[in-house]
Amino acid sequence: MSITRLLVANRGEIAARVVRTARAIGIKTAVLRHPAEVDAPAHAIADQVVTIDGPTPVSAYLDIGQIVQAARHIGADSVHPGYGFLAENAAFVKALDEAGIIFVGPTAEVIDLMGDKVRARNFVAERGFPVAPSAIEDDNPGDFVERARAVGYPLLIKPSAGGGGKGMRIVREDARLRAEIETARREGERYFGDGRLFVETYIENPRHIEVQVMGDGQGNVVHLWERECSIQRRFQKIIEETPSPALRPGQREEICEAAAGIARAVNYRGAGTVEFIYANDGRFYFLEMNTRLQVEHPVTEMVTGFDLVAEQLRIAAGEPLGLQQDDIHQTGHSIELRVCAEDADADFRPAIGNILLMDEPAGPGVRVDSGILEGGKVTTDFDPMLSKLIVHGRDRAEAIARARRAALDYIILGVTTNLGYLYAILEHPRFGFGDLSTGFLDEEADALKRAPDASSTDILLAATALSDARLVQAVESVPAIYRMMGGWRN
Amino acid sequence: MRRILEVHGEEIPVWLASVGQFHVLHLGDREIPCALTTAPGKGAFTLDLNGTSIALRIAVGEEATFVHLDGRAYEIGRTDPSQPLGQADGGAPQDRMIAPMPGAVISVSVAAGDAVTEGQTLMVIESMKLETTITAPRDGVVSEVHFAPGDSFDGKVVLIGFEPLKDAS
Repeated sequence: MSITRLLVANRGEIAARVVRTARAIGIKTAVLRHPAEVDAPAHAIADQVVTIDGPTPVSAYLDIGQIVQAARHIGADSVHPGYGFLAENAAFVKALDEAGIIFVGPTAEVIDLMGDKVRARNFVAERGFPVAPSAIEDDNPGDFVERARAVGYPLLIKPSAGGGGKGMRIVREDARLRAEIETARREGERYFGDGRLFVETYIENPRHIEVQVMGDGQGNVVHLWERECSIQRRFQKIIEETPSPALRPGQREEICEAAAGIARAVNYRGAGTVEFIYANDGRFYFLEMNTRLQVEHPVTEMVTGFDLVAEQLRIAAGEPLGLQQDDIHQTGHSIELRVCAEDADADFRPAIGNILLMDEPAGPGVRVDSGILEGGKVTTDFDPMLSKLIVHGRDRAEAIARARRAALDYIILGVTTNLGYLYAILEHPRFGFGDLSTGFLDEEADALKRAPDASSTDILLAATALSDARLVQAVESVPAIYRMMGGWRN
Repeated sequence: MRRILEVHGEEIPVWLASVGQFHVLHLGDREIPCALTTAPGKGAFTLDLNGTSIALRIAVGEEATFVHLDGRAYEIGRTDPSQPLGQADGGAPQDRMIAPMPGAVISVSVAAGDAVTEGQTLMVIESMKLETTITAPRDGVVSEVHFAPGDSFDGKVVLIGFEPLKDAS
């Protein structure tokens, strides 16, 4: 097997990022485009652009039949799914298998297993890896309350059919357990038409720590160390870093080895990420495994020096893993900021607009993976993430300093972005100390709100008036003697 | 020459006049001499304001100007008071539910001719994965519903219209 022509079944920054690596190793590339999309960096650097159609742009990127057909049509021998869209869709993998096209990722079976959260959790627990203590009502409804009590407090009651936080109840004392179970059951019935429940240990102010793994499906698995992704808004990460400031040396090996062990248990092929919840007391529990390249993979590349997409492509071509665990070291510190078109001061409401001016930061240790071009348009058709700003420094302090400077120098005018908000997070003393948790952004919401700087008002008014060509022209066309009169004529 | 500029959420009337090479910005009682010159860099300018030089990046949009100053981006709304304001057909803005941004209609709860009360749900829309319920701003009668469930719409279009209020006097 060899890969010579690759279709990237994705868009935005990740399409461009995959194309760059493929080009560097001599693979011809093609990317997709829906007619509603504006020019993007991937279109400019790929060898070929294939038009896909659908009632909405997103539906086109989810259309398995059409994308497999596109791959066939251009003679692609392989498809890289990026993240999101069809990256974790077993039916897509099967359709490509049938067409004789290589899917750059794991097998359909592994995607299915890890995509079912209860099955994945049981699989991991049965092999002795840590999962949060829990009790599932369905296992034996008769003694559910006793088993829930045995989990210990505080505990979290969740509807089995749930999602999005609905119907979840935190119980801190035994006296409340029965009443909360009944409330959660009623809520589960109301929201999901299903009153079945399960409980698990509630972890206060946890951190989100995940481990990059890579396997060749031929029995070889390595980890590429951890990433901490505790800075989240609406359950979505916006700042990630590596190494995690929370882990002590022994612990770091322990959590990374657990992740590699889980990947080994499924004879994992390709790049994957094992996510853990990390408690204040140092214990950690399996959360889920993502069977794809992650948005935040560049921080791992910055500290290890490996190009994860190049490794993915080598493995997909059937080569054995080229890395030994002993060759993989973390050097320095890396931070990624997700630059999104959104208004952080208005509940992170997505913003739209035209990108009138764009100037990206540069300098030692600064990398920008961008999905936008100047002159482009930001619409509601896709996710609001525009680009990723990734920095590397000798240590965490230098990485933070570089990230702050780069955030200030990153100019995007014409659409509201969260760059200022990301800067405020980097400046927050708790971030500097590495005192992070998934509740950080909620807890520090007031501190992160930046009052408008009144001293800027005159500057902004003058800049706006003087850059208004029609206004300046009108002023200057007035005969000289009247020009000075300005406002007095009112 | 006058503009109404919106900065930090506040509408500020501004007059511009010129004296020789300089301009003078009139802000209420204050007169501020200023000049803007291009500088190296994309959209880069130097603003001389009251004797101080300030580095800026500026992008001029159709209805707003965007300024990057000291690492922060600002949007300043511009209105030319000499241009006619309001709706082309003269309807009062409060009689129209305008889409805040492009999106798609999830459900519609009313039809033209329906009498509704303040706060009643009219329509549920989705923009960038966020659901928003459009409710009646006052008691009244729906005069027009422009979209059906599944339709998508652009920003700033009229979603639902109301019969104008009868003059009570």
